[in-house]
Amino acid sequence: MKFNTAPPSVLHIDINSCFATVEQQANPFLRGKPLVVAAYESANGCVLAASIEAKQFGVKTGMRVRDAKQLCPRVLVMSTDPWKYRNIHLLFRKLLGRYSPHVSPKSIDEFVVHLDQVLHIYDNDPLLVARKIKNEIEATIGDWIQVSIGIGPNRYLAKTAAGLIKPNGLEVLDTTTYEEVYRHLPLTKLTGIKDANAARLRSVGIRTVWDFYEAPLWKLKAAFHSVTSYYWYMRLRGYEIDDVEYARRSYGNSYSLPRPLETRESVSPIISKLVTKTSGRLRKAGLIAQGVHLALQYKEGGYWHQGHKCAKHLFSTQDIYEEVMRLYDGAPHAPLRHIAISVFELHKENDLQLDMFTNTLEKVHLMKAVDSIHKRWGDYVVYPARMIDTERFIPDRIAFGGVKELEEISI
Amino acid sequence: MVYKRYMQTQTINEDVSVSLVFNHHTRVVAPMKVSWRGRVYTVKKVGLHHKFREGRTLIHIFSVITDSSFLRLAFNSETLNWKLEQIIENQA
Repeated sequence: MKFNTAPPSVLHIDINSCFATVEQQANPFLRGKPLVVAAYESANGCVLAASIEAKQFGVKTGMRVRDAKQLCPRVLVMSTDPWKYRNIHLLFRKLLGRYSPHVSPKSIDEFVVHLDQVLHIYDNDPLLVARKIKNEIEATIGDWIQVSIGIGPNRYLAKTAAGLIKPNGLEVLDTTTYEEVYRHLPLTKLTGIKDANAARLRSVGIRTVWDFYEAPLWKLKAAFHSVTSYYWYMRLRGYEIDDVEYARRSYGNSYSLPRPLETRESVSPIISKLVTKTSGRLRKAGLIAQGVHLALQYKEGGYWHQGHKCAKHLFSTQDIYEEVMRLYDGAPHAPLRHIAISVFELHKENDLQLDMFTNTLEKVHLMKAVDSIHKRWGDYVVYPARMIDTERFIPDRIAFGGVKELEEISI
Repeated sequence: MVYKRYMQTQTINEDVSVSLVFNHHTRVVAPMKVSWRGRVYTVKKVGLHHKFREGRTLIHIFSVITDSSFLRLAFNSETLNWKLEQIIENQA
């Protein structure tokens, strides 16, 4: 099968160094200076975004603050300000929605715009649209905010094109340019091809992106042993295979502990706060759940997780907390590093079953009253007594890569 | 190892007086002068305006700079009060 000759009509827009750039947008004195936004400002904090200036010193996302300072002693370290980034995300959604009715956020800082139904308005020139978008971002969102835009015949190649030049790139990957790109791009620069997949491909003699493209389907099947081979075959030829929206199947919150905790007394307030967050989001979405899941990571490196389905429907903070603690009591007790809770098996709240032995409606009314207080006065105005003294734990955070969480953002 | 400090950050959270301009042509709202502890700061540039809710109350945050300082100003749309949340003296 040859490369797709249809006009490239998918734009992938990536905000360069998003959190760090937004901080520089807010405070012009920070512009041109190496800076990182980190989960915590302490030496062990994880770098969530490095400014373009910090990247020039080799500072990367995922590093510890300590390592960033080793590479660039002058680097400024800032903690996150989630609402700044959420506002920028919403401004992008609004701006891009003026160019096409089909805009899908892929993460807090990545967007896909489908132009196929509107390209004729722009003289069938996706580059014209991309340049207009770049100019409008500078004029209306922020003069320091830069984006890389990739244009391709499918989502995957548009994303690949967006990654070719950073910052401020604008590249087209289509039938006229793919050979040049494929011949020079290292295999592991492709999204989804890291060490394990690269090893699979090497095992059948594929060492470059061009080899990957040229390989017949049977050879890819020998490498991947699954339907994935077909997906790669189509992706690299510019046919759409990734335009799939998955329904939400769970709600959850997690927290990396600043110091390891071991006893039930020390862990239960944290779990209570996580449950309070999750149950509030579940009810806000008009849903109830029937399953709970708990995952624990230990200081010494071990991992434990378990979930169970309950006979009754769950929506109240207290009921979900009790189910999670039942799981916790069955887990090995050792110093913990990370706690994640979630609820699954979601149903609409109208499907709620009444219980013969407890007054379900009383709980419904209580939760509605609590939620309306939070809606009026803000989160954590009323909370379980065991949550006292948890103010410094579990701050507001941006969920990375969580497309579904983005749907919850509103002002 | 010596780390050079560019900035000195102060968290303030105090009420301040702010004069504001609304341009009906551009539909842009921008703080112009901030009066705090007897000193008047003239705003040179608004870096970012963003907003969020505390319960039903909409809070507007203006990140602005003067000749030598960065100010984070919060406007409470329910009480119509302004707070100076943070001031950073630029030392670069």
